[in-house]
This record gives sequence, C-alpha cells and structure tokens, in this order.
Amino acid sequence: MDPECSRLLPALCAVLADPRQPVADDTCLEKLLDWFTTVTAAGSSLLLLQENPCLVELLFRVLKSQDLSSRILSFSLRLAGIFAAQEDCFQYLQQGELLPMLFGEVGPLGGAAWTAPAVRSGWIQGLRTLAQHPSALRFLAACGAVDTIFSLQGDSSLFVASAAGQLLVHILDLAMRGPARGRCSPQACDWPACAQKIVCHIEDSLCSIATPQVTQALNVLTTVFGHCRGLWTQGLWVRLSPLVARLLEKDPVPASHSLVDLLLSVARSSVPSSDRGLWETLAQTLSHLSPTQAGPLALGILKLQDCPQALRTQAFGILLQPLACVLEAAAQAPGPPGLLGGAAGDPMTADTLLCSKSACVGLLCCALTHLGLLQPLPQRPSPWPQAPLLGAAVTVLRLCSGSVAPTSDVGGRLCAILVGCGRVQRAALDFLGALSQGAGPQESVTQVFSVLLEYLMSPESSSMVLKKAFQATLRWLLSSPKTPGCCDLDPRTQLFLRELLPVLQKRLCSPCWEVRDSGLEFLTQMTRHCGGQAGFRQALLASEVPELTKQLLQDPESYVRASAVTATGQLSSWALLAAPASPERPGAQQKSLLVELLHVLCADSEGFPRRAVMQVFTEWLRDGHADVAEDPERFVARVLQAASRDPDWEVRAQGLELALVFLGQLLGPRGSHCPCAVALPETAPPGTLAQALPEAAPPGTLAQALQVLCRVQLFEFAFRALFDCDRPVAQKSCDLLLFLRAKAAPCGSPQEAGDSPNVASVEATLQRWQAGEQGQPLGYLEPGAVMAVLRSIDLEGLRDTLAESSDHVEKSPQSLLQDMLAAVGVLGENEADCY
Amino acid sequence: MPEIRVTPLGAGQDVGRSCILVSIAGKNVMLDCGMHMGFSDDRRFPDFSYITRSGRLTDFLDCVIISHFHLDHCGALPYFSEMVGYDGPIYMTQPTQAICPILLEDYRKIAVDKKGEANFFTSQMIKDCMKKVVAVHLHQTVQVDDELEIKAYYAGHVLGAAMFQIKVGSESVVYTGDYNMTPDRHLGAAWIDKCRPNLLITESTYATTIRDSKRCRERDFLKKVHETVERGGKVLIPVFALGRAQELCILLETFWERMDLKAPIYFSTGLTEKANHYYKLFIPWTNQKIRKTFVQRNMFEFKHIKAFDRAFADSPGPMVVFATPGMLHAGQSLQIFRKWAGNEKNMVIMPGYCVQGTVGHKILSGQRKLEMEGRQVLEVKMQVEYMSFSAHADAKGIMQLVGQAEPENVLLVHGEAKKMEFLKQKIEQEFRVSCYMPANGETVTLPTSPSIPVGVSLGLLKREMAQGLLPDAKKPRLLHGTLIMKDSNFRLVSSEQALKELGLAEHQLRFTCRVHLHDTRKEQETAVRVYSHLKSVLKDHCVQHLPDGSVTVESILIQAAAHSEDPGTKVLLVSWTYQDEELGSYLTSLLKKGLPQAS
Repeated sequence: MDPECSRLLPALCAVLADPRQPVADDTCLEKLLDWFTTVTAAGSSLLLLQENPCLVELLFRVLKSQDLSSRILSFSLRLAGIFAAQEDCFQYLQQGELLPMLFGEVGPLGGAAWTAPAVRSGWIQGLRTLAQHPSALRFLAACGAVDTIFSLQGDSSLFVASAAGQLLVHILDLAMRGPARGRCSPQACDWPACAQKIVCHIEDSLCSIATPQVTQALNVLTTVFGHCRGLWTQGLWVRLSPLVARLLEKDPVPASHSLVDLLLSVARSSVPSSDRGLWETLAQTLSHLSPTQAGPLALGILKLQDCPQALRTQAFGILLQPLACVLEAAAQAPGPPGLLGGAAGDPMTADTLLCSKSACVGLLCCALTHLGLLQPLPQRPSPWPQAPLLGAAVTVLRLCSGSVAPTSDVGGRLCAILVGCGRVQRAALDFLGALSQGAGPQESVTQVFSVLLEYLMSPESSSMVLKKAFQATLRWLLSSPKTPGCCDLDPRTQLFLRELLPVLQKRLCSPCWEVRDSGLEFLTQMTRHCGGQAGFRQALLASEVPELTKQLLQDPESYVRASAVTATGQLSSWALLAAPASPERPGAQQKSLLVELLHVLCADSEGFPRRAVMQVFTEWLRDGHADVAEDPERFVARVLQAASRDPDWEVRAQGLELALVFLGQLLGPRGSHCPCAVALPETAPPGTLAQALPEAAPPGTLAQALQVLCRVQLFEFAFRALFDCDRPVAQKSCDLLLFLRAKAAPCGSPQEAGDSPNVASVEATLQRWQAGEQGQPLGYLEPGAVMAVLRSIDLEGLRDTLAESSDHVEKSPQSLLQDMLAAVGVLGENEADCY
Repeated sequence: MPEIRVTPLGAGQDVGRSCILVSIAGKNVMLDCGMHMGFSDDRRFPDFSYITRSGRLTDFLDCVIISHFHLDHCGALPYFSEMVGYDGPIYMTQPTQAICPILLEDYRKIAVDKKGEANFFTSQMIKDCMKKVVAVHLHQTVQVDDELEIKAYYAGHVLGAAMFQIKVGSESVVYTGDYNMTPDRHLGAAWIDKCRPNLLITESTYATTIRDSKRCRERDFLKKVHETVERGGKVLIPVFALGRAQELCILLETFWERMDLKAPIYFSTGLTEKANHYYKLFIPWTNQKIRKTFVQRNMFEFKHIKAFDRAFADSPGPMVVFATPGMLHAGQSLQIFRKWAGNEKNMVIMPGYCVQGTVGHKILSGQRKLEMEGRQVLEVKMQVEYMSFSAHADAKGIMQLVGQAEPENVLLVHGEAKKMEFLKQKIEQEFRVSCYMPANGETVTLPTSPSIPVGVSLGLLKREMAQGLLPDAKKPRLLHGTLIMKDSNFRLVSSEQALKELGLAEHQLRFTCRVHLHDTRKEQETAVRVYSHLKSVLKDHCVQHLPDGSVTVESILIQAAAHSEDPGTKVLLVSWTYQDEELGSYLTSLLKKGLPQAS
C-alpha cells in the first residue's frame, strides 16, 4: 500500500465508523472496496491488517455501533469478506471472533439492520468473497449460514435473491472441489455434508407446489451446469433429472422459462455424454410447452453442436410452425408443399396466433428472430428451406401492409391482427435481410424485391420500418448474383435498381430526418460496394439522387448533413456526383464539392458534419482523389488550417490523421526509415503528392519534404496540438512527430540541425503553448529549426504521460481517501440532485 | 388478481441513475434509462441482466419512456438499445429528443476518448438509438399498442421535461421524472390533471427540504459575479452544454443590460448557437413570460454573451466564462480552471452536483492543494462557490402534486432513504394513501381491481335515453340490464333481448308476505277497507280494487283471507315482483301498522 494511503487510512476508518459522519458520495464505498480488492490481490491481507490495525478496529466499531447507516454496515461485511478470502487472514479474524459476529446469528442477521436490502446484499457478497478455502466452508456450516442463504433466495430484492442463488452454487462447487478433489464420487450419497444439504434443498424446492421455489431451484441448477465442470455435475443430474422431468407432468408447466434455461445449460455441459436420457427430456419438453415457450428451447437445441437428428427435426419444426400457419392461412389455393413438407400446421400454434393480438405478435416475432439468428450458423438445419422461408417472410410483410387479402376465414383474422403492426414488420424485415445470404429461386427474389419496394414506397411505413427496409434492401442488392462473365449486376437487379432510385429520391426529401438519414446511409453503402458497376452507375446518374444528396449538405439536421457529407464524398470518389463535366471546364462540378465541403468544415455549427468532412478528406487523400491530386499541397494546407482552429477536438484529431497520411505519402509508410532510401513514386499511389511534388525540386530528399511540410503549416498544427487540452489530440500529435523524427533522424545532416536562428523563438513559443497560452502564431518555420526543436522535445516522455487517462490523478486511491476525508463536515454543500 | 409491479433498477433510495421497471396489466415499461457519472466501468449503467433473463429484451419490454435529457435519466439509453439489444420504441418529448444526443455525444467524447474508457457507445450508436425515438406532444395520448397508452404532462425542471401517465384499460401509473412546482426564469411549473392513477411514482430529491426562493439564490449569484468582475477578477462557471447554462445566461444577460456592465461574457464555442437554436425551437415549452415577450425580443438571443476562443483565457482583465464540462473533470473548463486557480481575485462557481473523482468534487469539499499530472501541485487561491440551481420540487411541491393527481398509492424514488422515510409518513398521514419506497432491486406489488370492458346494446341505451336523461360524461349513471358473456365478450342488454338471444323462457319471481289484521268483518269488507286506506295514502300510485276482491298497487297484489283458527283475524296476502321491491316492503310495513278505524 502506498505510504500516503497508509497515513490517511486511520482517519478514514474513524470517519466511517462514526455514525454522525455520513459518506458524501454513494460511489466512494464501492471504489474503496475496489481498491482493497486490488491491494489484497497483490499481497498478503494478513500483513495489511497487521500494518493497518485501524481496519480491524473499524470492523469492531461497526459491530458495536447502534445507529450506523446500512451502507457502512454493508460495506464492512464486504470488506471483511475481502480480507478473509485469504486463509491465514481468515484464521486471524477468527481468533478475534470477528467473523461470527459479522456473519453469524449475533451479527446484523439478527438485528433491525437486516431489514435493509443493502445489508442483506453486503452479507451475501461478503460471504461470497470469503468462501475460497476449506476453513470458510467449515465456518459457513458452523454459523448456519446456508439456511439463511436458502431463505434469502426468496428475498424481496431481486439483487439479494439472485446473489443468494449464486452463492449457493459457489458453496456447492467449493465443497465438491474441496478436500475430496479428484476423487469425488458422482454418487451424491458420498458427498460432503454441506453439498448434501444444498442438494436436498434443491430437491425439496423442485417438488414444491410453489412456482417461485421451483424457479429458484431451476436457476441454481442452471448456474451449476453453466459454471461447474466437475464429474460430480453428472451425478447431480442423474439424481435430479427425474424431479425435473416430473415438472413436465404438471399443467401448465411451472417456471417454464427457467426450465428451458436449465435444460439448455445441461445440454451444453458434459452431461449429454453420460446421459442419453437428456435428449428424451428435451423432446418431451418441446412437446409439452406452448409454442411461445418452446421457441427459445428449439433455438438452443439447434445451436448445439452435437444432438440427435430427430430432436433437431422436432425443434426446427417448432420454429417453422408459426410461419407455416401463416403460409397456410394466407394461401389462395393449396400450393406446393411448404415449410413442413405438406404436413398440416399445429393447431396449438394456430390457436396461439389467433387468440389475441399480443400472443400472435409475440409468437411471430420470436419465430422470425430465432430463424434469423439460426440462418448464418454452420449448424443450421440442412436442407434449409430457403424458398418457403422467403415466401413466409414476404407473406408476413404483405399481411402487415394489408396488400394481400386472404380468402380464408383464418387468413382474414390473421390479416386483421397483423395489419399495420410495426413490431412484426421490423422483425420480418430483419429476417428477410438475413435470408439474403442464401440463394433463392428467381420467382422468390422477384417477390422479395417487390415487397421491399412496396415498403420503401408506402406512406404507412414508420421511420424504423423504413430503416430496416433500407438495410434489408442493401443486403439483397449486395448479395445479388452478378452477370456471368462480368462483375456487373444481373438484369433483374438492374431493373429493381431503376425502380428503387426514384423511391430513394422521394425518401431523401422526407420531412422526417431519420428517413433522410437512413436513405443517405443506404446510398453511401451502395456506392461504396457498387460504385464501379456500370449498371449501378447508369441508374444513379440517370436519377436526381446525386443532386439531392448534395442539396442535403444544407439540411437543418446535423446528423443528415453529416451523412450527406459522407455520401457525397463517396459519390465523388466514384465520379458519380454529377453528369460528366463539359469539355471546356473539366472537373468543374467536382471542384465545387471540394469547396463546399471546405465550407462545411469551416462554417458548420455542429461537430458531426465537420468530422464527416475530415473523414472524407482523409479518404480522398489516401485514395488519390482527382481533385486532391491536382494540388495536394494546397489541399492539405487549407484543410489543416481549418481543422487546427476547430472547437471539436475530434476534428482536430482527424486533422492529425490526415497529416499522418500526408506524411506517409511524402516520406514513405511507417516502418521504412528514411525517405532517402525509399523511392517516393513507388510508395505513393498514383495521383498523390509524390506525383504532384513541385517539379523544380527533385523528389526523394528530406529537405524537400520538410519544406513542403513547413509550407502547409503542418508543424505549427502539430506543435500546437501537442499541448492541446484534449488528450487524444496531444497523443496523436505526439505519434505524428515521433514518426517524423524517426523518419528524418537517420539522415538529418548536422549542418541542417540546431544552427537555425529560429530555434530559440520556436522553443519559447512552445513553452508558452505548453503553459496554455496559445494565442500567438508560430510563424513560418525553417526545416532546420523544426528538426532541432523535434530533437529537443522529450516526445517519448510526453507519450507515456499522455497514455494515462486524463483523470488518473483524481481516480487514484490516494485521491479517493483525500476526497472522503475532505467531505467530512461539508455534506450538504454538494448534495446529489441531478446532472 | 391483476396487479401493478414496480422494480427500480436505479433511483431506488438513491439519486445515482434512474431506471424503473413497471408492469401494468401485463405490459412492461421502462421509465428512464440513466447513467451514473460517478463510475467509470459497467456499474455506471443499470444492471439490465435482470431484464434479459426474462427472455429477449424487445419481446419483454413494450416501450421505454425518457422523462428528460439529464444523463442520470437518459445516459444509458444508447448502451441499452445498441449494445444490450433493445430494439423497441423509445418515447420522449420533442425537446428531449433534440437535446439528448448532444449531451450524450458530449459525454461520450469525455468518457471514451478523453479518459480512454472501454465498453462505451459510439457516435453512430447514439444516432441509431435516436432513430428509435418516437416524439410525443404534451397532453397527447399516444397508443403504444392496442392496449397501452401514454400521455405526457409538463414537468418544469428542464426544457422538455415531462411527467408520463401510463395507462392500460382502467389501470394507470404516473411517473413524474424530475419536476419543479415553482416557475423559474425560463420554465413554468409542473402541472397534472386530477387523473387519479392507481400509483404515482414521484421523485423525492428534496423530500425534507423547503427551499428558499430561487430569487435569493439568483441575487446571490449575480452579486458574487458582479463583485468579482468589479475587482478585476475572472469568473469561471463550469456547465454542461444545455440546461442550467441557459438559465444562468439569461440571468447574466439581463443583469449586464440593467447594470450596463462592460466585462465580456463568453460561452464555449458552438454551444450558444446550439442552445439558442433549441430554445427558440421550443419556445412553447418555456414559461409564460418568455413566450409573451418572444415577439418583441427573444430572450435566448444574447447581446452580451459571445463565443469563447481558447486564446481569450489569457486576456487580461475581468471576464465571465461558461465552459464545459460541468464537473471540471476534463477539457476546456478544467484547462481554464488551471490557469485561473492561482489568482485570489478570480472565482469559480459550481452550479450543480459534482461526483467523486472530479476536480469539481475536490474543490467543493474544500481541498485547496490539488495534485495534477506529473506530481505537480495546483494551489487553488481563487474563490470557490457552490450554488445549486437544480429545479426540483421541494417537500411542499411534492405534497402539492400528490394533491393534484389524487393517486391511490404513492411510490418514492430518486432520493435518499432517510428523507424518503420522513416524506412517506407525511404523505400517508395527510392523504390516507399507502406510500412505498423500494430500494433498487426490490419489487413493490399493488393489487388492482380487475377492469372488464362491457359493450352495451343500442336498445338498452335507447331505452335509457327515452327516459329523458341525456348522457353526461362527468356524471356516471347506473344502467340496469342483463350481463351476458358470449365469445369471451361481455354485453349488457335488456332482459328481453337476453332471453331472446339465449332462447330462454321468462319466469316471474314474486316476493310474498302475510300480514295479520285484527278485523272481525268479512274478507271482502276488509279488502275494501285496505283499498280505501291505500288510496288515501298512496296518491301518486295506481291503486285498484279488482272484481275478484283483491287490491293492486302497481304490480303488488293484496288479497284478504280468513284466519283458519281465529275468526277475529284476517290474513292479508301481499305479493310483489322484484322490480317493485321497495314499494312492496313499504306497503307491508304500512299494513302491519293496521287500518284506520272507520269513522
């Protein structure tokens, strides 16, 4: 422990034990426990207590105090648990009879304080931390703690009840791992008394007629099979599985949700290898539970790596049932065998679908979500009924939009329930998107495109539904087959695109910002992936979408402006922003976008659009965008000038990112040391700075590169950023300057470095900047002065300092102790209300 | 038995972060989704595992409602929706929807990038989360689904803050969020109608406090700022981007105007414009005075307050600077504080609560030598002032709201246990309702009366109308009919229609009673005497003497017979239908008193 903390600790303990001194901030005690956990993990708890007797004294004083707050009492119980987790320290505390006084009948357990959930929670957490060794087990047995834990399983506080269940599992595991480690019999009758007691309690609970008790037992067992790995778990299952199976005989099955969790937990453990009867129990459970309850179990079974085929078929059937019923209900005439190979839909599922709107919506959403989750998994059922599933998703969507009118009575009722239901629409669109990963017959794909178009066009579609529709459309477009022999879109997709773009156009004019934004996000992604495909280019250029996108740079909503910046940047990268420029003014349109984006960077009042511009510019520079390639030096100078003044530190940080790309192009990538050794034209992509370097100076010399960097005022930006009040900016600048120094150092000529008359004034300015006075400009720098300054700054030291979080001092334990002590007596000055 | 269940995951006997789960008539709603700024790990968020264990979040929760834009009420929302996986609707008012992402974004920038914290949401996540938001207007009933409806009421506190009524059938819960019952410089007072919810969940931050007038605090604030700039000092006011900052800006702007002061006032760049934009946009949400004067002059267009540039901090002379963040935990406000802390002429005014682990917390607890990075020690010589401008209802205000809403039960959240205990007793005594104060994780269960919707037949309604009584929504009326259940639906119809629909024959049920009269005359004469007596007493009723000797009054039949054993006694057989039960009982008691002697 830090000596300063050791010095402060006695005073703090005195404050904590004083009921007249309430603790100011409710997080302080938690943070204090975190600190003690760290301290005891690193060293001996016994030593800690011996060196700081105030800690044991605190525990004694807490016990004696009558009117101490429940928070301090809870804290003390947890603290004692942390110390007693080490066996020697446990013995030490036992000698003083402190532990029985804290955790036994004579302690808070028997007093009025026990009514506070915080105290009960502290008691459980203390024991949970403490129970790490055989002595702890004996202690638990001696003080009758296990019985208390049993009763706390039904506590009025969810937190206490849940912690009690977990503590039981922990004790059971500890008992089984204990002295009998390795030779513990799977036969439960040979188990330690403590484990026997817990298992008997679980058995009693499973046989109880009260559902909460059954739930508690099932939850405990779920944790056991999820976390404990010993052979004994198999024995436990052998002993308890008949009781679990007996639950299935009850109608309705009690605690079905917990039962499903348990069975899946057992199925994922090592039990199935020894007990084939488990599969039978799973099959029985599937058939006993209602369709809604059985869904999660079916999904869990299908996710298992190794499980009998018959069970998988049964489980898959359950997931498919609701969709099969929908298909059956909506069928105009008997069609080809659907999802269930022609078998009739389960009447129970049909009943659930029709009994109430909430049941119908719940069941359908679950089925769609579960199947969507299953679709990408390698262990999904095979053959996968892609075509009927597509048909079902499309049918559900059409029922929701009211665009199909089923003739059957059942279909009509289903339609009445589903029409306009946003929740089902969202789930079905997600599912439809997931299905894009598999191929489908042409007819089905046409239907998919048609229903997506219908949703994108519909004035009834909510903004969330539209977002999902755009996402599903994107997935289908990106997965659509390419024309054989070339990489272009197939004719059907092209046709769809031609229909889609006018809809997108309309959506970009939506009064709802969410819709405009989702439209722009869709366009950006489409362009990123298909910008080079002739079909997409043709369709897009023939539409007004690019023009509209540009107009959205002036949108009143900043999120939309930012998305418009990204979209136009992407369109421009693929030369899709405007019709081909006139021969008289080549590139005129494109240039105007650069100017517009620069204007956004300089003038937009919100950070999102400015950040988006910086990302576009960085990408443009990296990829050698035509406009940038014309005069990269001027481009970088203008961008850095704007970014350096930006109030948003993320823009400034991105400015440094762009500067780093520029440096890389000028001096070669990271890793290669000296530009003298690297032939610039080879490292830089075509159309970038290397090609555009002034013809007067031959490329490849450091001096020339430094001259360029000085001209674009990169150093002024980087040096200023080095002392930025926002840590990430300073960190990035530090990285950049280190990179530059590493590049330049090996070949820096002595006559260039250190002898420039500018150095003194530069260093003086930097010192003022460091002190926070950033008012003065640095002025034009000579490369020599720059290198001299770079060598004089302790960049490595600065990097290490910056690596710590900005508030590491305030977060230190010493600071915590000081704060807690300082808050004594001034409570009320800074009272928690809101922020 | 139907019930309402409430489980706070946050704000249960604390003020850390609000997150309350309510189950009402089978619908599950999350009220607020706040973040605790005092933690820098997952403990800052409510423990959502208690919901996820009930299955998929979106299947379990019907909606999330956010009361206002403070981070202790909405800070965990992007985490909940984009990282934990809630995909359902989120409801909040329009100003909250507009301002929420700005504050979330500001905090993200501090937490993730500046402090290097992991497991936090990104900018894209904030946007995606905001796309799930459905904006609600005040007093507009919004149908979440066919059964669940919500309605927002004005809460004061901050721009866009709302109380929400959650209703399923006849069961309802009102959640206040944070509210203020007294109008302040830019916001009005909270108001709710007499909605008589089954449960009112109210904040109780100032459960035991009767707060002094805000005017005093404002005067004090202005005095301190004025004195400092008069002696050439600089004033730093650390604030969060939106909310309290605007209130203080209005205050200073008016004061500067009135006193013709020249010292510059600066606001962190960009924030003034944003604030102006939103406050102008949501003028209807501000108080009456601002709304009235808006046409002549927009109070949010400041003449004296200008955008701040980093270089200004080094300028000589007095100035006032509003800078973010509000707890001096990073960024611009901390940088300016470091510069100005050494000069005793300067002053820092903390206008709100600061969590432990921030410089704000340290200076408020009186620490004057602060250790900075690299073992440097910053000596704080500048004056440090704390002035809470938070706008919460005090004890009086809370009682006032309970009186306004007339709930059947009250549940206290967002306060300290000891203070809650005091208020709980006061509420129980004064309003004779049960009051609860669950800790986080504790569930309060309230039984409610089942509500069964019943359709009334047109025929029955017409018959009721025919009686000349027009329906009046404010005056509930009794309607007699036959309740029939068919296809899981209840209908109230006339008994004739019920018989017809159910194919049943009508049976008549008559009550009978024997009355013994001492009368030696013959039965017929007794009957005549009965007739004459009733005719004289019951002037408004139709009394008839039938040819067979019996007497009728409406449906009541009276027959006289001789007593089998006592010839001096006659037996009157009185019978009546259940419709005339009242009259039948009255007649019987009348006849039991005997007949008047013949004159």
